[in-house]
Amino acid sequence: MGRLAVLRWQVLSVAVAFLAWEAAVRVGLLDPLFVPAPSMVLRALPSLAAEALPRLLDTFGKTALGYAIAAAVGVPAGLLLGSRRLLHDVAMPYVVALYGVPKILILPWIALVFGIGLSTAVLSAAVFAVFPIVVLVAAGARDVDPTLVTVAVSMGATRGQIGRKVLLPAVLPSVLTGLRIAMVFAILGVLLAEMLAGHRGMGYLMQRQAMAFKAPELFASTAIVSALSVSVVLFLEHLNRRLGQWR
Amino acid sequence: MKLWLGRAVVLVVALLAWEAVARNLDPILYVGPSRLPAALGRVMSVRDLPPLGSHLWLTLGEVVAAFLLAVASGLWVGFVLGLQKTLGRIYEPLLAVLYAVPSVIWYPSLMLFFGLGPASKIAFGFLLGFLPVTLSVLAGIRQVPESLITVAVSMGAGPGAVFRKVMLPAMAGTLAGGLRTGLALSVVGVLVGEVLGARAGLGYVLTYAYGLLMTAEYAALVVIVAVAVLTVDALGALVEARVRRWAD
Repeated sequence: MGRLAVLRWQVLSVAVAFLAWEAAVRVGLLDPLFVPAPSMVLRALPSLAAEALPRLLDTFGKTALGYAIAAAVGVPAGLLLGSRRLLHDVAMPYVVALYGVPKILILPWIALVFGIGLSTAVLSAAVFAVFPIVVLVAAGARDVDPTLVTVAVSMGATRGQIGRKVLLPAVLPSVLTGLRIAMVFAILGVLLAEMLAGHRGMGYLMQRQAMAFKAPELFASTAIVSALSVSVVLFLEHLNRRLGQWR
Repeated sequence: MKLWLGRAVVLVVALLAWEAVARNLDPILYVGPSRLPAALGRVMSVRDLPPLGSHLWLTLGEVVAAFLLAVASGLWVGFVLGLQKTLGRIYEPLLAVLYAVPSVIWYPSLMLFFGLGPASKIAFGFLLGFLPVTLSVLAGIRQVPESLITVAVSMGAGPGAVFRKVMLPAMAGTLAGGLRTGLALSVVGVLVGEVLGARAGLGYVLTYAYGLLMTAEYAALVVIVAVAVLTVDALGALVEARVRRWAD
């Protein structure tokens, strides 16, 4: 089966799924109070758009900030952990353990210290996103083949040259993978903070819509946020491939 | 040996630093480790809360239910999509897209549908655990060398024997890793659900203590839950290592 045929089947299946969903609501298999039909969700979209736009900017602005912090802390920390053998062996179990602890546990504390505003969501995004970056970058830096460095040194390369021409291309893939994965974590961190202790943003809006039983609006918000985050991730993946070609 | 000493030193230094910082700051916001044991005792005996044990059991039950559902449907979907190559080519990319969606956006809808009781937590834990299990089955099946299957079939092995002797050993490691990730995510899903809105369970007790500004009790609970989660994951890692050794 060719790529086009696969795509045709994918589109068809999704369309059939939506039609079946619509039909299930119309014949009364699903209660529209809880699960609105796709047509109802579509009708809710325009009225939601005006309310959602500033909130989306808010949510994704906070995501960008938290993501930047996570990258600025995580990449150097990962490089350091990956390149110093002793440090890696001593500290890595703690990093992995902290990665494994559900961040939701400390989120209430962050909200208590930083309030319900911007900084809680930004910090939450950073806390969620920093660990995958550190772990992946450290793993990548550790796996750099030492003979590459030896060869470069024996050929008279300076430290700066080794960094730019040998180490950077060698660790770049894992840095990029870490940064790509971290984006979803950052969005998740912001949304979760907004749901738990927000007064703005999409997470807060969705939580309120759920409490108010505004199912069509809630489904529309869910669709908007997921479409946006999928496109952000796809864009990063595209960027990744471009950089991969450069390498 | 020296390594363990180094790790212990890091832990002690971290605890001391935490204590030193917490002492000089607002005791309501910052709880040093020295206050945790007493707080733990108080958590156990708070009159306003039902006994911690019953919340613990509820959370554990939700996790088990969510994980079992995730494993059952993840294995099923994974094997269907992995063995029917055409179906796999069509639907695996659709599943993988879900990885690019921050999972927590599903929770408000689930809460609306299932209410504040355990059902919404189980549903969310299931949703989070399902994806890694399914994708690990798919990845595992790809690792099975086609030639081995051909050889086994040509030597007269039935489907059951092929599955047990050829496929299972080749994919066991990946599958075990996926199950472990699935369990960790089911735990996260249940806890997130309980913190965001519940009337019982560990997450509820946590937000209850936090809501009353009983921060020392809250911190003690965080430590307990974190240790429990890490213990479960360590057991999972042990099982995974066992399986990988068996498969090799």
